[in-house]
Amino acid sequence: MIKALFCTVLAMVSFTANAQVKAFEKYADMKDVTYVFISKYMLGLASKNATPSIPKVDINTLKNKLTGIQIIHSEKKGMRKKLKSDVQEILDRDKYEVLMQVKEDNNNVNIFHCVNKRQSAVVMLVEEDSGITAIVFSGKFNIEDVMKMVQE
Amino acid sequence: MDELKSLEQIPIPEGLEERLSKKIDEWEREEKQTARRILLPRALRYTAVAASIALVFGVGFHYLRQNEPVNLAEQDTYQDPVKAQQEAERALNLLALNLNKGMGHLERAKALSEKTEQTLNEQLKALK
Repeated sequence: MIKALFCTVLAMVSFTANAQVKAFEKYADMKDVTYVFISKYMLGLASKNATPSIPKVDINTLKNKLTGIQIIHSEKKGMRKKLKSDVQEILDRDKYEVLMQVKEDNNNVNIFHCVNKRQSAVVMLVEEDSGITAIVFSGKFNIEDVMKMVQE
Repeated sequence: MDELKSLEQIPIPEGLEERLSKKIDEWEREEKQTARRILLPRALRYTAVAASIALVFGVGFHYLRQNEPVNLAEQDTYQDPVKAQQEAERALNLLALNLNKGMGHLERAKALSEKTEQTLNEQLKALK
Protein backbone atom coordinates (compact mmCIF):
# COMPACT_ATOMS: atom_id res chain seq x y z
CA MET A 1 0.00 0.00 0.00
CA ILE A 2 2.90 2.34 0.82
CA LYS A 3 4.35 1.62 -2.60
CA ALA A 4 1.04 2.48 -4.22
CA LEU A 5 0.81 5.74 -2.27
CA PHE A 6 4.39 6.62 -3.18
CA CYS A 7 3.64 6.03 -6.86
CA THR A 8 0.55 8.22 -6.64
CA VAL A 9 2.41 11.06 -4.91
CA LEU A 10 5.23 10.83 -7.46
CA ALA A 11 2.76 10.96 -10.31
CA MET A 12 1.01 13.98 -8.77
CA VAL A 13 4.32 15.82 -8.24
CA SER A 14 5.33 15.24 -11.85
CA PHE A 15 2.01 16.66 -13.01
CA THR A 16 2.49 19.86 -11.04
CA ALA A 17 6.23 20.34 -11.71
CA ASN A 18 6.88 23.58 -13.55
CA ALA A 19 9.64 25.08 -15.60
CA GLN A 20 9.47 28.57 -14.16
CA VAL A 21 9.86 30.18 -10.79
CA LYS A 22 6.31 30.06 -9.41
CA ALA A 23 6.79 32.98 -7.04
CA PHE A 24 7.15 35.39 -9.98
CA GLU A 25 4.06 34.15 -11.82
CA LYS A 26 1.78 36.56 -9.98
CA TYR A 27 3.02 39.44 -12.14
CA ALA A 28 1.54 37.86 -15.26
CA ASP A 29 -1.80 39.60 -14.86
CA MET A 30 -0.79 42.59 -12.73
CA LYS A 31 -1.69 46.09 -13.88
CA ASP A 32 1.17 48.38 -15.00
CA VAL A 33 3.57 45.45 -15.16
CA THR A 34 4.88 43.84 -18.35
CA TYR A 35 5.39 40.13 -17.96
CA VAL A 36 7.22 38.01 -20.52
CA PHE A 37 7.69 34.26 -20.28
CA ILE A 38 9.83 32.24 -22.66
CA SER A 39 9.57 28.51 -22.17
CA LYS A 40 12.17 25.82 -22.77
CA TYR A 41 10.10 24.74 -25.74
CA MET A 42 10.40 28.16 -27.36
CA LEU A 43 14.08 28.40 -26.50
CA GLY A 44 14.64 25.04 -28.16
CA LEU A 45 12.63 25.84 -31.28
CA ALA A 46 14.89 28.61 -32.51
CA SER A 47 18.48 28.29 -33.59
CA LYS A 48 20.83 26.74 -31.03
CA ASN A 49 23.61 29.22 -31.74
CA ALA A 50 22.97 32.42 -29.86
CA THR A 51 25.00 35.39 -30.99
CA PRO A 52 26.55 37.15 -27.98
CA SER A 53 26.91 40.91 -28.17
CA ILE A 54 30.06 40.71 -26.05
CA PRO A 55 32.98 38.98 -27.75
CA LYS A 56 34.55 35.88 -26.14
CA VAL A 57 31.50 35.33 -23.95
CA ASP A 58 29.84 31.93 -23.75
CA ILE A 59 26.09 32.32 -23.32
CA ASN A 60 25.20 28.99 -24.92
CA THR A 61 26.18 26.83 -21.92
CA LEU A 62 23.63 28.57 -19.72
CA LYS A 63 21.08 28.96 -22.49
CA ASN A 64 21.06 25.24 -23.22
CA LYS A 65 20.38 24.45 -19.56
CA LEU A 66 17.51 26.92 -19.14
CA THR A 67 13.94 25.76 -18.71
CA GLY A 68 12.45 29.23 -18.78
CA ILE A 69 13.04 32.97 -18.73
CA GLN A 70 10.67 35.39 -17.00
CA ILE A 71 10.97 39.13 -17.60
CA ILE A 72 9.03 41.48 -15.35
CA HIS A 73 9.16 45.20 -16.08
CA SER A 74 7.42 48.28 -14.78
CA GLU A 75 7.79 51.96 -15.50
CA LYS A 76 5.10 53.31 -13.15
CA LYS A 77 6.60 54.97 -10.08
CA GLY A 78 4.32 53.38 -7.49
CA MET A 79 4.63 49.96 -9.04
CA ARG A 80 8.44 50.22 -9.20
CA LYS A 81 8.64 50.46 -5.43
CA LYS A 82 6.19 47.63 -4.95
CA LEU A 83 7.93 45.41 -7.48
CA LYS A 84 11.29 46.02 -5.83
CA SER A 85 10.05 45.15 -2.35
CA ASP A 86 8.09 42.17 -3.68
CA VAL A 87 11.11 40.76 -5.48
CA GLN A 88 13.28 41.36 -2.42
CA GLU A 89 10.75 39.48 -0.30
CA ILE A 90 10.80 36.49 -2.69
CA LEU A 91 14.60 36.51 -2.73
CA ASP A 92 14.78 36.59 1.08
CA ARG A 93 12.12 33.90 1.51
CA ASP A 94 13.66 31.52 -1.02
CA LYS A 95 17.16 32.17 0.36
CA TYR A 96 18.76 33.64 -2.74
CA GLU A 97 22.36 34.75 -2.42
CA VAL A 98 23.91 37.90 -3.86
CA LEU A 99 26.16 37.09 -6.80
CA MET A 100 27.03 40.62 -7.84
CA GLN A 101 26.07 44.26 -7.31
CA VAL A 102 26.94 46.89 -9.88
CA LYS A 103 26.08 50.54 -9.31
CA GLU A 104 26.87 52.98 -12.07
CA ASP A 105 25.43 56.50 -12.23
CA ASN A 106 21.67 56.01 -12.00
CA ASN A 107 21.84 52.38 -12.96
CA ASN A 108 21.70 49.84 -10.15
CA VAL A 109 22.06 46.13 -10.98
CA ASN A 110 21.78 43.30 -8.47
CA ILE A 111 22.30 39.68 -9.46
CA PHE A 112 21.10 36.91 -7.13
CA HIS A 113 21.30 33.16 -7.45
CA CYS A 114 19.73 30.12 -5.90
CA VAL A 115 21.18 26.74 -6.87
CA ASN A 116 19.05 23.68 -6.16
CA LYS A 117 19.02 20.08 -7.33
CA ARG A 118 15.54 20.36 -8.77
CA GLN A 119 15.68 23.88 -10.13
CA SER A 120 18.24 26.66 -10.04
CA ALA A 121 17.57 30.31 -10.69
CA VAL A 122 19.42 33.54 -11.33
CA VAL A 123 17.53 36.77 -10.76
CA MET A 124 18.82 40.04 -12.19
CA LEU A 125 17.18 43.17 -10.82
CA VAL A 126 17.90 46.27 -12.90
CA GLU A 127 16.86 49.67 -11.54
CA GLU A 128 17.08 52.56 -13.97
CA ASP A 129 15.56 56.02 -14.24
CA SER A 130 13.14 54.69 -16.82
CA GLY A 131 11.90 51.78 -14.74
CA ILE A 132 12.65 48.55 -12.97
CA THR A 133 13.24 45.14 -14.59
CA ALA A 134 13.57 41.74 -12.99
CA ILE A 135 14.83 38.94 -15.22
CA VAL A 136 14.53 35.39 -13.87
CA PHE A 137 16.55 32.64 -15.52
CA SER A 138 15.48 29.20 -14.33
CA GLY A 139 16.77 25.75 -15.17
CA LYS A 140 19.15 23.02 -14.13
CA PHE A 141 22.53 24.71 -13.96
CA ASN A 142 25.28 25.55 -11.50
CA ILE A 143 27.17 28.72 -10.71
CA GLU A 144 30.06 27.69 -13.03
CA ASP A 145 27.65 27.73 -15.97
CA VAL A 146 26.70 31.31 -15.07
CA MET A 147 30.29 32.42 -14.62
CA LYS A 148 31.11 31.11 -18.11
CA MET A 149 29.44 34.30 -19.26
CA VAL A 150 32.37 36.29 -17.93
CA GLN A 151 34.73 37.44 -20.68
CA GLU A 152 37.89 35.31 -20.98
CA MET B 1 -11.35 -56.14 11.24
CA ASP B 2 -10.29 -59.13 9.25
CA GLU B 3 -9.61 -56.86 6.31
CA LEU B 4 -7.28 -54.70 8.41
CA LYS B 5 -5.39 -57.73 9.59
CA SER B 6 -5.02 -58.94 6.02
CA LEU B 7 -3.76 -55.48 4.99
CA GLU B 8 -1.16 -55.51 7.77
CA GLN B 9 0.12 -58.79 6.46
CA ILE B 10 0.90 -57.35 3.03
CA PRO B 11 4.71 -57.05 2.80
CA ILE B 12 6.05 -53.47 2.48
CA PRO B 13 8.22 -53.11 -0.64
CA GLU B 14 11.89 -52.36 -0.05
CA GLY B 15 12.91 -48.66 -0.14
CA LEU B 16 9.29 -47.44 -0.05
CA GLU B 17 9.97 -45.20 2.94
CA GLU B 18 12.97 -43.60 1.22
CA ARG B 19 11.00 -43.08 -1.99
CA LEU B 20 8.11 -41.57 -0.07
CA SER B 21 10.28 -39.08 1.84
CA LYS B 22 12.02 -38.16 -1.44
CA LYS B 23 8.65 -37.47 -3.02
CA ILE B 24 7.56 -35.40 -0.01
CA ASP B 25 10.75 -33.33 -0.24
CA GLU B 26 10.13 -32.81 -3.94
CA TRP B 27 6.57 -31.61 -3.27
CA GLU B 28 7.84 -29.25 -0.59
CA ARG B 29 10.36 -27.76 -2.98
CA GLU B 30 7.70 -27.33 -5.65
CA GLU B 31 5.41 -25.65 -3.14
CA LYS B 32 8.13 -23.14 -2.18
CA GLN B 33 8.79 -22.33 -5.83
CA THR B 34 5.10 -21.70 -6.46
CA ALA B 35 4.97 -19.40 -3.44
CA ARG B 36 7.89 -17.42 -4.87
CA ARG B 37 6.12 -17.24 -8.20
CA ILE B 38 3.03 -15.85 -6.48
CA LEU B 39 5.08 -12.98 -4.91
CA LEU B 40 5.93 -11.44 -8.26
CA PRO B 41 2.35 -11.10 -9.46
CA ARG B 42 1.53 -9.50 -6.09
CA ALA B 43 4.17 -6.78 -6.67
CA LEU B 44 2.85 -6.36 -10.15
CA ARG B 45 -0.64 -6.03 -8.77
CA TYR B 46 0.47 -3.18 -6.46
CA THR B 47 2.17 -1.43 -9.35
CA ALA B 48 -0.92 -1.81 -11.48
CA VAL B 49 -3.07 -0.36 -8.69
CA ALA B 50 -0.66 2.57 -8.27
CA ALA B 51 -0.56 3.18 -12.01
CA SER B 52 -4.36 3.10 -12.19
CA ILE B 53 -4.66 5.61 -9.33
CA ALA B 54 -2.09 7.87 -11.01
CA LEU B 55 -3.94 7.59 -14.30
CA VAL B 56 -7.30 8.43 -12.72
CA PHE B 57 -5.77 11.43 -10.92
CA GLY B 58 -3.96 12.48 -14.06
CA VAL B 59 -7.02 12.39 -16.26
CA GLY B 60 -9.09 14.11 -13.57
CA PHE B 61 -6.46 16.80 -13.06
CA HIS B 62 -6.25 17.37 -16.81
CA TYR B 63 -10.03 17.80 -17.12
CA LEU B 64 -10.18 20.06 -14.08
CA ARG B 65 -7.45 22.26 -15.51
CA GLN B 66 -9.30 22.52 -18.80
CA ASN B 67 -12.21 24.10 -16.98
CA GLU B 68 -9.95 26.50 -15.04
CA PRO B 69 -9.28 29.97 -16.44
CA VAL B 70 -6.02 30.00 -18.43
CA ASN B 71 -2.99 30.92 -16.33
CA LEU B 72 -1.23 33.66 -18.28
CA ALA B 73 2.07 32.99 -16.51
CA GLU B 74 2.30 29.50 -17.91
CA GLN B 75 1.72 30.60 -21.46
CA ASP B 76 4.53 31.54 -23.77
CA THR B 77 4.42 35.27 -24.44
CA TYR B 78 5.80 34.87 -27.94
CA GLN B 79 4.23 32.55 -30.47
CA ASP B 80 7.05 33.21 -32.89
CA PRO B 81 10.21 31.25 -31.93
CA VAL B 82 12.46 33.80 -33.62
CA LYS B 83 11.06 36.64 -31.49
CA ALA B 84 11.33 34.45 -28.38
CA GLN B 85 14.93 33.68 -29.28
CA GLN B 86 15.73 37.37 -29.78
CA GLU B 87 14.23 38.29 -26.42
CA ALA B 88 16.04 35.41 -24.69
CA GLU B 89 19.34 36.44 -26.22
CA ARG B 90 18.75 40.04 -25.22
CA ALA B 91 18.16 38.94 -21.62
CA LEU B 92 21.19 36.65 -21.62
CA ASN B 93 23.38 39.35 -23.15
CA LEU B 94 22.21 41.83 -20.52
CA LEU B 95 23.16 39.35 -17.79
CA ALA B 96 26.54 38.75 -19.44
CA LEU B 97 27.10 42.50 -19.82
CA ASN B 98 26.42 43.18 -16.14
CA LEU B 99 28.48 40.22 -14.96
CA ASN B 100 31.37 41.47 -17.06
CA LYS B 101 30.90 45.02 -15.78
CA GLY B 102 31.20 43.74 -12.21
CA MET B 103 34.15 41.53 -12.99
CA GLY B 104 35.80 44.46 -14.84
CA HIS B 105 35.60 46.60 -11.70
CA LEU B 106 37.04 43.69 -9.72
CA GLU B 107 39.95 43.34 -12.13
CA ARG B 108 40.65 47.07 -11.94
CA ALA B 109 40.55 46.96 -8.14
CA LYS B 110 42.93 44.00 -8.20
CA ALA B 111 45.34 45.78 -10.52
CA LEU B 112 45.24 48.90 -8.33
CA SER B 113 45.89 46.86 -5.21
CA GLU B 114 48.85 45.12 -6.88
CA LYS B 115 50.26 48.47 -8.00
CA THR B 116 49.92 49.92 -4.49
CA GLU B 117 51.63 46.87 -3.02
CA GLN B 118 54.47 47.19 -5.51
CA THR B 119 54.99 50.91 -4.75
CA LEU B 120 54.91 50.21 -1.03
CA ASN B 121 57.52 47.47 -1.37
CA GLU B 122 59.75 49.78 -3.44
CA GLN B 123 59.47 52.53 -0.82
CA LEU B 124 60.28 50.10 1.96
CA LYS B 125 63.33 48.85 0.05
CA ALA B 126 64.51 52.43 -0.48
CA LEU B 127 64.17 53.13 3.25
CA LYS B 128 66.35 50.14 4.09
